[in-house]
Amino acid sequence: MIDLSLLPYALNLAAIYALMAISISMIWSSIGMLNLAHGATFAVSGYAAWNLSIIFKPIILSIFGKTLIAKLLMGFVLISSAMVAGAMFGLIIYLLAFLPIHDKPNYPVRSLIITLAINIATIQILLFMFGARNKGLPKIFGFGKFEIFEIPIRYDQAGTIISTIIILGLMLSWLKFSRMGIEIRAMMQNPEGAAYSGISRRTTAIPVLMITGALAGVSAALLSQTIFVSPTSGSIPLIKGLTIALLGGLGNVPGAMIGAVLIGFLEAIVGSIQQRYVMFSTFIFIIIVLIIRPRGIGGLLDDTRE
Amino acid sequence: MTIQENKKSTFYKVGRRHFEYRIIPKVNNVWNRTRFPFTKRHFLKWRGVYNINGLKRERLLKDKMPLWWLIGLSLVLFVTPNLSPQLIGVSSIFCIYSSINILWTLIVGTAGIFSFATLAVLGVSGYIAAAANVYMDIPWPYMFLIGAFTGFIFGTILAAPSTRLDGLYYALLTIGIAEICRVFVLQLRVLAPQNGSITKVDSFIPDKYFLQPEGMIIGFYASFLLLLFCLLIWRLINSERLGLLLRTAKNSREDEAFAEAIGIDFRRARLWVFIISSSALGFVGAFYAMYFKSISPTIFSIDQLMILFAMMVIGGIGRAEGAVVGAAIVTFIDKGLIELGPIRIIIIAIIMLVVTIFAREGITGARKQFRIFRLRKSGERRALRTEKNGEVMPEEATEIFDKQEIYYRRFNKRLRDNLKKIITPELIEEHKKNPTGNHSDSLARVLNFFRRADTADKYALKKIKKTNSKNVYQVIAFSGIKTHPPRIVDDKEYSELSEALHAVFILRVNDLLES
Repeated sequence: MIDLSLLPYALNLAAIYALMAISISMIWSSIGMLNLAHGATFAVSGYAAWNLSIIFKPIILSIFGKTLIAKLLMGFVLISSAMVAGAMFGLIIYLLAFLPIHDKPNYPVRSLIITLAINIATIQILLFMFGARNKGLPKIFGFGKFEIFEIPIRYDQAGTIISTIIILGLMLSWLKFSRMGIEIRAMMQNPEGAAYSGISRRTTAIPVLMITGALAGVSAALLSQTIFVSPTSGSIPLIKGLTIALLGGLGNVPGAMIGAVLIGFLEAIVGSIQQRYVMFSTFIFIIIVLIIRPRGIGGLLDDTRE
Repeated sequence: MTIQENKKSTFYKVGRRHFEYRIIPKVNNVWNRTRFPFTKRHFLKWRGVYNINGLKRERLLKDKMPLWWLIGLSLVLFVTPNLSPQLIGVSSIFCIYSSINILWTLIVGTAGIFSFATLAVLGVSGYIAAAANVYMDIPWPYMFLIGAFTGFIFGTILAAPSTRLDGLYYALLTIGIAEICRVFVLQLRVLAPQNGSITKVDSFIPDKYFLQPEGMIIGFYASFLLLLFCLLIWRLINSERLGLLLRTAKNSREDEAFAEAIGIDFRRARLWVFIISSSALGFVGAFYAMYFKSISPTIFSIDQLMILFAMMVIGGIGRAEGAVVGAAIVTFIDKGLIELGPIRIIIIAIIMLVVTIFAREGITGARKQFRIFRLRKSGERRALRTEKNGEVMPEEATEIFDKQEIYYRRFNKRLRDNLKKIITPELIEEHKKNPTGNHSDSLARVLNFFRRADTADKYALKKIKKTNSKNVYQVIAFSGIKTHPPRIVDDKEYSELSEALHAVFILRVNDLLES
């Protein structure tokens, strides 16, 4: 009998992984870049949120005291600062890894290498500036837990799950209905056709990288409710996001979501038995899936398109 | 007057001939090339050629890479023993990393399999060889055999899914395998007291010399031999039959289909390259364990892999010289400038970034890229200062074997320039009045030029019989290709022959003025 209290934990993990995996998947399918600097975006926005929270915490406390408004305001400051920092970092990635080489030979491999270099350099620069010590962000959702159907749920878990659902819903509907979202989806489905209908890859890449950077910022702010901010805090979410994006089939948003939920549950279950085997079991699971379905869970679509 | 004119005009060096160094052999010298013993291969790629101007005999070295290898390797070999012990250590590590990189290049470049399991193969073989030595008391020379055999087995297992999975998915799988190896080694109960590492491995460096200057020197010579061994494997695989087969199927899906169509089993060739390189990696793994006299789980870590990847990227993926140059740069920064602390990783990352943004194929590909760039720029500059108009440019002239062609095109261009000057409204009026006979001198010249043209440039008249027995004419153009019928130029119909002739004349004049 599986302990039902694992459920919120698994969903919490799945929410964060889904945020990362969907961004990576989106970048890959729209502009053909495997963004390995996503972990760096994660860490940078975590640090930005931490810095701003230090500046704003005394101000908010002195004006509003310990009221609900202060808490909401604090949460707003945290998430928005992380989002803005993530978007700005996305712009840096655009300027370094996309703009100079997007029409040059061997672009996919070269952009992968550049984003990898950005990731390494950023982690080291953060280490250099802030040191290796973990920083704790203020808790937006507060401490404590409540019960639904006799399943205990911590406030931060519930907050993360709900805000992820809201943000993903907002983003997916933006992708579905806004003009720019339609352009991005056109590029994801058929880059050549999009180019023929006058959609510029160069200008569409800016919102893609900024939005995905902002998503990484959100996931940094949310995950930092559970763990700490540190220079290398982005690498585990990056690897997880990457593996889940691949597991779901690169460029496939529903596949990435299914993958995130599967891996979240797997990790929650394995983690409750023995924390050490989490990575191990994840990779074994992914290897099995890849051997059965060489293009990931949602990869069938790619085959038929070709 | 003529001398002054010569001083004013600038001469540009054209063609690529003046970049090539040529040896002019003595006339009656019989030319012998030494060969590798027991093979038909020569040491250097000398070619006997004839200079087109004057047909002098010349000797040309087609491939200068072996000379660069000789200079570079002998520099490493002769400079290193005179350095400080710390730098000798750096040099040995450079040799080991270059060897690993060359074998990895074989997998990534020659076989085209994006595998990140290099260090996993190396580590597993190193661990098994070291364990055989420490726990089963097998003497160290056998460790090489054990390592190579483990590499062979592990490589065979890893190679199986490589044909089934796409590039990125296989890369992920191999990264996963490296992680699995790390966790597996860390949780082994036997190794738990040493944090997962095996220490006190017996080796070719005697225990009393280990970490002493003498031991460093022995270690350096051994790793240099290892580098030579890996270069030999590179040469035997990449430049011989397997490499030749794989080069057919290298670049794209279409190439793969082509290779399959002409009967090359490229998948099998890829697997063979992967397995051979993995066995060699196993050999290097045993060497690695012996050189450091220990092996630890950090060999499976992603950071270590990234350092190796940075080497390949900086040097240029897919070339042996790239693997070695990249290893030299990164090892020097990472191990030689150790007092800089964490900044050196930032420096490596920035070098990686700059190289990748500006160079298509790493530092070793920069020369070729620069040549292409220079050719393009010189072409652009030439286009700015000259007007071509059908004439052969000096740069093209070196490529055209039939020199008569060059002079004909130059003559033709000048002729056209002159004719353009004498075409006036009066001339056209004169032709309109009297298309067939008694032309003035200038009109006769123009018409003569028209008559000499190729068929493809000419027009003709087509006579069409109408029902009221009145002839009309239409202008048609010849295709110039056999069996291809002429096409109708426009739908105008001329009732008089002279009108039609003049229409053809106007068309030709238009063509001439536009040329």
